[in-house]
Amino acid sequence: MAAQEPEKLRELGERLDDVQKRNAGGATRPPPTQLGIASRFATELGAALLVGGAFGWGLDWLFGHFGIHTRPLFIVVFFVLGAAAGIRNVMRAAAELNAEIAAHPAPSVKDDEEN
Amino acid sequence: MAMNPMEQFAIKPIVPLQLPASWGGYDVSFTNQSLLMVLVAIAASLFLTLATSKKSLVPSRAQSMAEMSYEFVINMMQSSTGEDGLRFFPFVFTIFIFVLFSNFFGMIPGSFTVTSQIAVTFSLASLVILTVIVTGFIKHGLGFLKLFVPKAPWYLLILLVPIEVISFFTRPISLSVRLFANMLAGHTMLAVFGGFVVLLGGAGGVLTLLSLAPMALIVAIMLLELLVAFLQAYVFAILTCIYLNEALHLHDNH
Repeated sequence: MAAQEPEKLRELGERLDDVQKRNAGGATRPPPTQLGIASRFATELGAALLVGGAFGWGLDWLFGHFGIHTRPLFIVVFFVLGAAAGIRNVMRAAAELNAEIAAHPAPSVKDDEEN
Repeated sequence: MAMNPMEQFAIKPIVPLQLPASWGGYDVSFTNQSLLMVLVAIAASLFLTLATSKKSLVPSRAQSMAEMSYEFVINMMQSSTGEDGLRFFPFVFTIFIFVLFSNFFGMIPGSFTVTSQIAVTFSLASLVILTVIVTGFIKHGLGFLKLFVPKAPWYLLILLVPIEVISFFTRPISLSVRLFANMLAGHTMLAVFGGFVVLLGGAGGVLTLLSLAPMALIVAIMLLELLVAFLQAYVFAILTCIYLNEALHLHDNH
């Protein structure tokens, strides 16, 4: 009995290591829901338009302050740049999602690909 | 009876306070919002200190909850910011616990959801972005500005740099809007279905029985909202980590 104990302990240690390894891997991030993805893309796009417009408005205000009348030139330019930044953000978000899915594929998706 | 589902988000002063006109004349009343924020801070501090005060080797339920939240955040930081990001652990942990407790306190019927106010979430997000900017400039000096310069020919940079700058400044907005919109939408939905129950219940006859349907739905939404409450706190914390990581390790971004 006494001789078996180190054996048992080592086995237990190995099992603990296994569990820890499994938990360290992917369990941290819960999978995003469809609604979550949709709302994320929408906010990314909308926020960029807002920031772009605000930048343009601010620049117009700044130049107007110094007596140079640029309004609405900067607002127009930066609104378009904001739209570009929004699309860039959405593409980046989509790339992140794809990388995530590739790293931790959902079981059902994996099965489909194998068949 | 008032049936406005947005009424729950109204800010009501508890102790009215007005700054004198020489100080700007702002309204700085102690409101239901302030009260809940104080409660959240007290509850979080009490929970974490009391739960870990015994330091027993075999943790009690409360202690293991406190330890789990600690381990959860530290694992998240290790995987997203690396070892040198861990000096921001107190910052990220505080934000995570504050948002988490605010969300959960909001789930108590009749209370108030602090995180459904854009002023709160935007302040938190601004704090995060300011930390990121300051860290970036301390760590890399002016080299931090390379974050806005993607690899491209110079004539494209004229277009790309403003786009990258705008993209950077969307972060506090998308970060705050995501938390605020989720909480606002969830609690509005609960209030709307709650209104259905009251209206149908008071209608009499068969309609009273029908009020059980939205009631059952509320239970389901309540469960979903509990998940959302945790998930949004997690999303807020992990995005903070990701942004900090970019400020700390410029080279491996994008």
